[in-house]
Amino acid sequence: MRLIIFLASLIFLSGALAQIPAEEISVETMPDHGPNWFIIKSGNGARIFDAETGEMYGTLSLSNRTPAVAPYLPRGEFYAAESYYSRGVHGDRTDIVAVYDYANLSPVAEVEIPNHMARLGVRNHLGLLGNGRHLAVLNMNPGYSVSIVDVIDRLFVYEISTPGCAIILPVAENDFLLVCGDGTLQLIQLDISGFEQNRVRSEVFFSVQDDAVFDRSARTADGWLLITHAGVIFEVSTDDDEINISEGWSIVAEDESGWRPGGFEFLNVHRDSGLLYVAMHEGPVDTHHDPGEEIWVIDLANQRRVHRLELEDPADHVTVTQESAPKLIVGTDSGGTEIYNALTFKHERSIDAPSASMYEDF
Amino acid sequence: MNANRIMDRGWYWVDQQARRSTLALARRLSRRNFLSRLGLLLTGAAALPLLPVARAFAQETSVREVGDPQTCEYWRYCALSGQLCSCCGGTHRTCPPGSEPSPITWVGTCHNPLDNREYLISYNDCCGKAACGRCGCHNTEGDKPVYFNSNSSTVLWCFGVEHTSYHCTVAVVLGESSQ
Repeated sequence: MRLIIFLASLIFLSGALAQIPAEEISVETMPDHGPNWFIIKSGNGARIFDAETGEMYGTLSLSNRTPAVAPYLPRGEFYAAESYYSRGVHGDRTDIVAVYDYANLSPVAEVEIPNHMARLGVRNHLGLLGNGRHLAVLNMNPGYSVSIVDVIDRLFVYEISTPGCAIILPVAENDFLLVCGDGTLQLIQLDISGFEQNRVRSEVFFSVQDDAVFDRSARTADGWLLITHAGVIFEVSTDDDEINISEGWSIVAEDESGWRPGGFEFLNVHRDSGLLYVAMHEGPVDTHHDPGEEIWVIDLANQRRVHRLELEDPADHVTVTQESAPKLIVGTDSGGTEIYNALTFKHERSIDAPSASMYEDF
Repeated sequence: MNANRIMDRGWYWVDQQARRSTLALARRLSRRNFLSRLGLLLTGAAALPLLPVARAFAQETSVREVGDPQTCEYWRYCALSGQLCSCCGGTHRTCPPGSEPSPITWVGTCHNPLDNREYLISYNDCCGKAACGRCGCHNTEGDKPVYFNSNSSTVLWCFGVEHTSYHCTVAVVLGESSQ
C-alpha cells in the first residue's frame, strides 16, 4: 500500500513540475541614468537611488574609510579613494583609488597611492578635476598633501605637499583650491601630466579663531561657496591664476542672532537657479555640528532668504539635485532620508537607507 | 713683535691645557662610555620637541576630579569627539588592553568645575583595534575645521603608531592653561 502511495506522489509531483517552466536566476545591469538620481554613502558602500520614485538601483562596495565617491558619467565610471588593512583593522595598509564601471558597479581597475589618505567622511577630501582626468585625494599624515591620480591612464602621478591647507575645491580644467588655516585660499594649478605647475595664495579673508570657514562647501555655477560658523558667505572662483573672493555677507539678520549653520554635509546650491539650501539651528558658539532645525533657502543673486523649511527631525545633511525640477534630499539626525520638492518644499517621500553618512547628487 | 709673542704663548698655553685635559679624560674614560653619554645627550635633546605630547601618558596629575568618566558630560571631554576608552576596557587616561596610544593628538582647554580652573587636555586616540563602538561622544567646544587639524575633533589621530585604525579616545591633562 505504501509503495502505491509513494508512486502516486511521484507521478503527481512530476506532473506539477511539468506545468510551469523553472525560473532561472540572473543579474541586473544598471538602467540608463535618469533625472534626480543621487548617491547615499554609508560606512562600507554607496547606494544609488532615484529621488522621483524612491527606487534603489544598486550598490558600490567601498572600504569603510572612503571619504567620498566621484561619479563621471561621460566615461561611465566612479572613482573612490579607499584604504584597507591586510587583516581587517591591522596588518599592512594599502591605499588605492578604485575605478568602478557604471553597468555593474563593479571594480574594474585600481591605482595604489601613498598610504597617507585622510580617512574622514568629508565630501571635499576627494575631487575630480574639470578635465575628467586627474583625481585629487587629500592626505593627512598628519601634515597635509594631495595625491594626484590619472584615472584615464590609471596611474599615480604625484604627491603635492600642501602644509596647513585642506579641502579640495576643483576649479577650471586642471586646478583646485584649498582652504588654509591661516585664513587664505591656495590655488594649485597642474600641467597636462598632473604635476604642479603653479601655486598662488590669496589674501587673508577670514579668521579661523574668530569665525572659521566650515570645512564643508557647495559648488556654484562658477566656483564654490564657503560659509563661516556664524553664517557669513563667501563665493570664490578663479580666473587663470587669480583667486577671486567675494565680499562676505551674512545670511543671518541682526534680529535673528543665535541662528547658525551646522551639521555635516549641510549645504548645497542649485546652480541654475542660484538657490542655496543650508541647515540652520539656534544655539551658542561651537554648536557648528548640531543638526538643522530648519533649512533656509537663500537666493544668492539677491542675497535674501526666500523660504524657511521647518523640520520635525533635524537635518545633518542637505543635498539638492541639479535638474530643472530639483529634489531636496535631507539626511536627518535620526538616520532618515527625506525627499522634498526643492521648489515647492512639499514632502514627497521617505527612503529607507540605514547608516546613511553622506549624500551626493548623481 | 712683543705683542705677537705674547699672543703665541697664550695660544700655546690654551693648546697645552686642552691636550692635558683630553689625555686625562681619555685615561679615565673608555670610548664606549663617551659614546653612550653623547647618545644619551642627543636622545634627550630629541625628546624635547615631543613635549608635551610624550608627557601625556607619563604621569597622573594631581587634578581634583569630579564627574563620571563614562559619560560625555565628564569635564575633561569638553572638546572630545570619539568613543570613550573608559567604556571600552580602559579609563579616561589609559588605553584598553592591546591597543596602542597615538603620540600625536589634538588639544582642547576644559574648565574643571571643582577648582574653577582651565586645563589643557590632550585627546589621544588609542589605535590598532576595531572601533570600540561604545559611549560615542561629540563635544565641540573650541573645535575647528579639519584644515586646522591641531584643534579639530573630526580628525582621527592614529598617527605614529604601528596600526592606524581607530579604537577609542582618552583625555589626558597636560597642565593648567595659561588662559
